[in-house]
Amino acid sequence: MVAPLKRIGLGGITGSPVAIGVALALMALLLLVPLGHNGYIEIVFRNILMYAAMAYGWNLIGGYTGYVSFGQVAFFGIGAYCSAVLSAHNVDNLFADVALACVVTALFAVLVGLPVLRLKGHYFAIATLGIGLALSDIVANLDVLGASSGLAVHHVDEAHFYVYYYAMWLVALGAMLATYFIARSKLGFAFVAIRENEEAAAVLGIDATRYKIIAWAISAMMAGSAGAVFAPANGFLDPSIAFSADSNIFPIVMGILGGVGTVAGPFIGALILAGANELLQKYFIKIHTLFFGAMIVLVVLLLSRGLVWLFGLKGGARTWLKSLTAYKA
Amino acid sequence: MHLVLQDLANGILAGGILAVVALGFSLVWGIMNIINLAHGAFVMLGAYLTYQLFASLHVDPFLSLPVSFVVMFAAGYLLQRYLINWVVRAPILTTFLLTFGLSLLFVNIALIVWTGDQRGVTTAYAGANFTIVGVTIPWVKLYTLLVALVITGVMHLWLTRSKTGRAIRATSMDIGAAQLSGVRVASIYAIVYGLGAGLAGVAGSLISMSYAINPNMGEPFLIKAFVVCVLGGLGSVQGALVGGLVYGIVEAFATQLDFTIGTQHISGSGLQDAIALAVLLIVLIVRPTGIMGKATA
Amino acid sequence: MSAQAAGTEVALRIANVGMRFGGLWALSEVSFDVERGSVLGLIGPNGSGKTTLMNVISGVYKPTTGDVRYGGKRIADVPTHEVCHLGIARTFQIVKPFASLTVRENVAVGAMYGRYGGKRSTRASFERAQELLEIVGLARVADRPASDLTIPDRKRLEVAKALALDPDVLLLDEVMAGLNATEVDEALELLRDVNRRGVTLIVVEHLMKAIVSISTTIVVLAEGKKIAQGAPSDVLASPQVVEAYLGSRWVKRQEQLKQIEAQRAHAAQVQPPDAHA
Repeated sequence: MVAPLKRIGLGGITGSPVAIGVALALMALLLLVPLGHNGYIEIVFRNILMYAAMAYGWNLIGGYTGYVSFGQVAFFGIGAYCSAVLSAHNVDNLFADVALACVVTALFAVLVGLPVLRLKGHYFAIATLGIGLALSDIVANLDVLGASSGLAVHHVDEAHFYVYYYAMWLVALGAMLATYFIARSKLGFAFVAIRENEEAAAVLGIDATRYKIIAWAISAMMAGSAGAVFAPANGFLDPSIAFSADSNIFPIVMGILGGVGTVAGPFIGALILAGANELLQKYFIKIHTLFFGAMIVLVVLLLSRGLVWLFGLKGGARTWLKSLTAYKA
Repeated sequence: MHLVLQDLANGILAGGILAVVALGFSLVWGIMNIINLAHGAFVMLGAYLTYQLFASLHVDPFLSLPVSFVVMFAAGYLLQRYLINWVVRAPILTTFLLTFGLSLLFVNIALIVWTGDQRGVTTAYAGANFTIVGVTIPWVKLYTLLVALVITGVMHLWLTRSKTGRAIRATSMDIGAAQLSGVRVASIYAIVYGLGAGLAGVAGSLISMSYAINPNMGEPFLIKAFVVCVLGGLGSVQGALVGGLVYGIVEAFATQLDFTIGTQHISGSGLQDAIALAVLLIVLIVRPTGIMGKATA
Repeated sequence: MSAQAAGTEVALRIANVGMRFGGLWALSEVSFDVERGSVLGLIGPNGSGKTTLMNVISGVYKPTTGDVRYGGKRIADVPTHEVCHLGIARTFQIVKPFASLTVRENVAVGAMYGRYGGKRSTRASFERAQELLEIVGLARVADRPASDLTIPDRKRLEVAKALALDPDVLLLDEVMAGLNATEVDEALELLRDVNRRGVTLIVVEHLMKAIVSISTTIVVLAEGKKIAQGAPSDVLASPQVVEAYLGSRWVKRQEQLKQIEAQRAHAAQVQPPDAHA
């Protein structure tokens, strides 16, 4: 009796296939945005795609592998500065930007990952938080990177600005597809095994160190690529923009809201949260961060498994209600 | 040479406050296994409490310390009892994000109420200092160090001698056994979290006497509290004290770094977070159980 | 898997193994060979060092003295995730499956990363997993999340995961703890089946009846030392073994009782009992 193909991955460690379908459909719709010739809307959705890519990155190391990183912004910033540096040397090619960002962030992830991935749980989380902050400090002191005054980044003229939109779309799509194929492959199972029980995984032949580093390097590349496209699109880069706390925390909350360890989750979470954030910023500029804080609290308390989980939930409202008290003291 | 002594003195003075900050953080972490990302915000709120009492009612900051403690304790207690308790046994990500969200809320409320301007508590005696063996020590900082030491001493006694203190330690060692002995875990958690908040508030009040305050002042203290806990070991008063002093001294010296490579000027004072991270990583890799050698999480 | 090899080929050689924790020697001077294709039962009272020995054999602990060699290679030299690639697999007393994966996925992970995992595709791994689930009797719950399983089924899952590693030697640590009589018999049948397929077994159990019925050789540990080795019937009759389990005071008491009994019998012969009339 052969295991039916559909059991390999689908519905299990990729999350609800319906959700994946929905996400892909929405992505296809997003291709139409630049046609509306509305600069503001284009930026909003470009940001959504950017956060989605970063959320996918976080999802891979945090959601699938179980190593909750609070420092993905470090890779985003590195990727952004790669573009800025290339631009300063008059290389203004998005492919080069993304390629360099991938190489540099992956290298950084491997180098830093070797000591840091030995830490577990809380320690890993705070160490990564520290990495993000430390990088921000360090870059702010490096004159060659513009220090705290920042660097201007060349970009195309208004008429061709949609290039950045589609580039970001490709990055987000790439992140989503990569997640999908990884989740279904042996690699994905290694990640999940490490998350569920790292020691048992080792006993089953999984070299945890190696796979953790691979997970982190890939997630770094996702964030780095997003950063690489962001820098020229933004036209200007400084440490506070490249390593902003928003870029750090948004992807995590989006990943959670959408669904930890699923394929559709990060995108759906990004769509909802980044969209909501934009609306709040527009109409409630003074208290939008307040709303965001409240949103985080609510998501954590009510939806900690994420929306995609809700999609595939058996038992409806009652199961959901029961899940709310699962972790009470 | 007397520069070294000055740095040392500065380090010790700063380290004392850091110890109080770290103590509250360490208790919550060691006993409830929660990394309270709102801890920095509690420090900030305590600071503003002292500021407001001083600005509106001319209450001397030292007198505001007990008020700060009580108010923040109550706030922490209620917060844990009626909010955090819902997910207190959840995986770290959950409590991490929850406390982070709370932190965002508090910081932004502070921004709305007090704006982002730097403020200070400038008493008449604020600038007074004395000099000994060539080292200048502001009186206020000396008193804050003394207060910090008294607080750590009192906490230590309370945790080891009092009934509640022992219940707390029992809970951290073995929840099941503690429950069987009649300890009401939910209450203990609320008390511990309240303590954490209260201590943070007091630390904030102490800080406000010597440094300018603003709504974002809490974050560096959060990171440093973490590093101090790793240095000194979790859940122990002596650990927080030793860790705080050691870190204070290390930071005092590290921020004096000032040199130039080629055309690149490197100044330690702008690299506080990087220094914290470096210390953290070194300790975690070389001696994961911390200086005091107690087992950590 | 290979058919049983003839003769007494040594699969595992445990040579002069000692394990020290702090000031305590949990194991000292333990030596024995494990024949390929055999079933070795490892018994001993609580605290005798059985689980410690299992941990040394499976590479979880590095022995303080001596070594364990498999195919000539020292196990202590091999990192944890490489041990299964040598051909040694084990189950754990406290089973912790990958909770959010299905039963089949749990086993498939072993098939993917075990000894022959490098050559298997994802699909082939799932096919192999299905085969193994049939062997251990879990095919009916293959698509359920592992967290849903009953205790006996979890133990079966442990065995299936270990088998997915294509081992030559399988260490079973108290795999029958918590099972009722029927479940124990089923487990024994499964283990016999696994052994017939060519896997050498080392079994740690408290259930004497189970060990005796399945082992070809028995090794007895007491206080970290090997005190007996041999065929089940010989070992269990050995006075040292009895003493180790039941204590020297018990043994002495038994002797005293025997003497009293003998005296009574003797006395009864000398003075005949009262007869009627």
